[in-house]
Amino acid sequence: MAIYVALPLAVVVTATISPGLSFAGIASYLPTAGVDVTYSFLRMVAAYSLSLVFALGYGYYAATRRTSERVMIPVLDILQSVPILGFFPVVIVLFLSLPGPGFLGPNLASVFLIFTSMSWNMVFGVYESLKSLPTELREASDTFGLRGLLKFRRVLFPATVNRLVYNSVLSWTGGWFFLVEAEIFTTNRSGLPGIGSYLSYAAAGGNGAEFVAGLFVLILVIVALDFVVWRPLGRRAQRYRYDQAPSGEGELVSPTYSRGRFRRAASYVTRGVRSGVSRLSTPLVQLAAIRIWPNRRPSPFRRTAISYVSVGAILVVVWLILIAMVIAVFHVYSGPIAPSVQHQILQLPEAMGASTLRVAVAYALCLAIAFPLAIHIARNRRASQYGLPTVEVIASFPATALFPAIIFVLVPYLGPDGVAILMLMTGMLWYLFFNLLSGVRSLPPDLEEAARAFGVRGRRFFRRVLFPGVFPALVTGSITAFGGGWNTLIVAEYLSVNSSHTLSVLGLGQMIDIGYVEPNGIPLMVSALLTLVATVIAINELLWKPLYRRSVERFRID
Amino acid sequence: MPLIQVEHVDKSFATGHGSISIMKDVSFIVKDADFLAIVGPSGCGKSTLLRLIQGLDRPTGGRIVFHDKGVDTVCGHMAMVFQNFALFPWLTVAQNVAFGLEALGWGKERIAAQVERYISVTGLDGFQEAYPRELSGGMRQRVGLARALSVEPEVLLMDEPFSALDALTAESLREEILQLWRDPALPPDAVLLVTHNIEEAIQLADRIVVLSRRPGRVLAEVTVDLPRPRDRKSTAFYDLTDKVFSLITQPGPVSEGPGTPEGAPAV
Repeated sequence: MAIYVALPLAVVVTATISPGLSFAGIASYLPTAGVDVTYSFLRMVAAYSLSLVFALGYGYYAATRRTSERVMIPVLDILQSVPILGFFPVVIVLFLSLPGPGFLGPNLASVFLIFTSMSWNMVFGVYESLKSLPTELREASDTFGLRGLLKFRRVLFPATVNRLVYNSVLSWTGGWFFLVEAEIFTTNRSGLPGIGSYLSYAAAGGNGAEFVAGLFVLILVIVALDFVVWRPLGRRAQRYRYDQAPSGEGELVSPTYSRGRFRRAASYVTRGVRSGVSRLSTPLVQLAAIRIWPNRRPSPFRRTAISYVSVGAILVVVWLILIAMVIAVFHVYSGPIAPSVQHQILQLPEAMGASTLRVAVAYALCLAIAFPLAIHIARNRRASQYGLPTVEVIASFPATALFPAIIFVLVPYLGPDGVAILMLMTGMLWYLFFNLLSGVRSLPPDLEEAARAFGVRGRRFFRRVLFPGVFPALVTGSITAFGGGWNTLIVAEYLSVNSSHTLSVLGLGQMIDIGYVEPNGIPLMVSALLTLVATVIAINELLWKPLYRRSVERFRID
Repeated sequence: MPLIQVEHVDKSFATGHGSISIMKDVSFIVKDADFLAIVGPSGCGKSTLLRLIQGLDRPTGGRIVFHDKGVDTVCGHMAMVFQNFALFPWLTVAQNVAFGLEALGWGKERIAAQVERYISVTGLDGFQEAYPRELSGGMRQRVGLARALSVEPEVLLMDEPFSALDALTAESLREEILQLWRDPALPPDAVLLVTHNIEEAIQLADRIVVLSRRPGRVLAEVTVDLPRPRDRKSTAFYDLTDKVFSLITQPGPVSEGPGTPEGAPAV
């Protein structure tokens, strides 16, 4: 509760005591900031309404029609494991080509983008609540002959409410992050008035008061939404749970529901990881087994090796074919590709390596922060009580809003690569932290007691009890964190605040941006996007998926 | 004139490797004012049989007749009481009881009056606005019972209604159900109880249909002609229990699968 007041206050206080800023100065910018935040908010509301309708419809059909389920769920799996933001420039180009007033294109593009980032997790919420509706409840509604609207009102919709509310909170958090990122991305270009572009302009002009006013308004809106909408809704949604909780235990209303919601988000992502290209590798393994070792089954190690190599090979081939197709299509329809663009397309493998390395470094740094922090907060009552709500509110604030200022202030100290990695970290840290926190918390107390009874302490305790116990959560956290990282690449590697303050480091995110900005750059943009998608799928299939399987097999605690 | 005729009913479920036969050639009848129990070991298809009778599922072979008519959709003249209560956690007690009446399209006031009546019949007075989560198991099953009775069914179907309750609660609820059934002013005409508890069946029912283990077949139909209230400690009660128990556990031509029913000692 106190945190709602404390956080906005802290921003104002720090701002007013810093040199060159005054309270009156900040206040004078509040009206414009308010207007811009309203634009952003309306975009969020539009995207959320779309997502809600879409989630109810898609989730319902996927959950109730066996044949639709077989197509609809895999499609969603693949869509959600792909870095949505990478598609933003492409979507803008598409929507800009639509007829109608000029402001329509970027607005539709940004609403569409937020929609894609919000809807999948809500669809899974609806789908899974309907799927897990206890058979008896379904039968009870059938025995009394409920149909149509009455069935929707009394059974189907209430069944989805609990998950829908939790997943909506998550959707809004992700939505703000992407919205601000999208608005920053289009600043100076097609014009998308909103808090992201407001902050970008403020930073470009070097106007501290203007920037702080924007931050203040944004925090105010997010905190107010949480306080006025999400927490009350979350409390009410408790009633809609249908687990068989014994009486008395049902009324728990935890203020810290993000634990569940991040864990759920994690499970959706891992689900995505489990599907996709990997299915292709099974027949190849069998084929290789027939050709190479006609008389004996290949050893497990060889099978693994073959499946790795074959998945890798398939991806490389598909990637090359797609890029060749892109180039060919542009060659035919828009004439030869400019030499500078050609040169950059040839740089794609190098950019891929650089981006992957950056994401990996950011991940390592996040892990170094998140692991100790999660252990501390989970195992310390006071930290749990006071630290966690603070962390939750901070985590729900879109770090993208700070990017323009980060570039201004930190590039001289950290260098462009350092700043890029820092920005990536803001898009990765929370996934890792909340997953690890839930992992440490769900460690059964009797395991800990057993360890203590046998005198297992310190490093041995970490190696033998804590780390294996947390491993599944670590894997899901890592998968979601990497997903967040890929999504942040597009602004983390290239962000132009003004001509003297531009961040640009070689990478796939940068290539996508450059392709978008430069004339004739579209082939580059599309090729870079395809490369990014291929990289994400490759890392999911070759690294996370095997790790996930291993964690389920070996480290699950039932 | 029988109320329900179950005629040569087969049921099998398709699985990945062909199909599993749940029950084979099951036949019996339910008469007016009958209290019929179906007992059998776990997995013999007792609960499935109840669902077939109500029309929630269709038999693979044979047919089920209710009042001269084949049951081919969900039958509104029967109502089910579920093992785990099947109450909707987002509806209050009163709303849960009104659940079936709304589907019948009754008016608001008529629903309210009916709900009030059955809430008081089942001893739920004062809990109208409570949510199922706030109730004990016994109270929850009363809500389940009130919901089933409120649509005034001719046949009350009960699927292991006491097995999720503690022994004391179950005992008092059994007595109450017996009283409801004997009250001519109240529905239902007939009760069909599925249970794996032989004593419970003998205590409550007029007749017991004994099913074999999977695939379920009718091993015997046992008439319980002990006077009510029945004394569990009487020799006649004990002898009947023993008879049904040995019917279920007997090795013989009826048991095709390997192994014995779980928990059943050899007789």
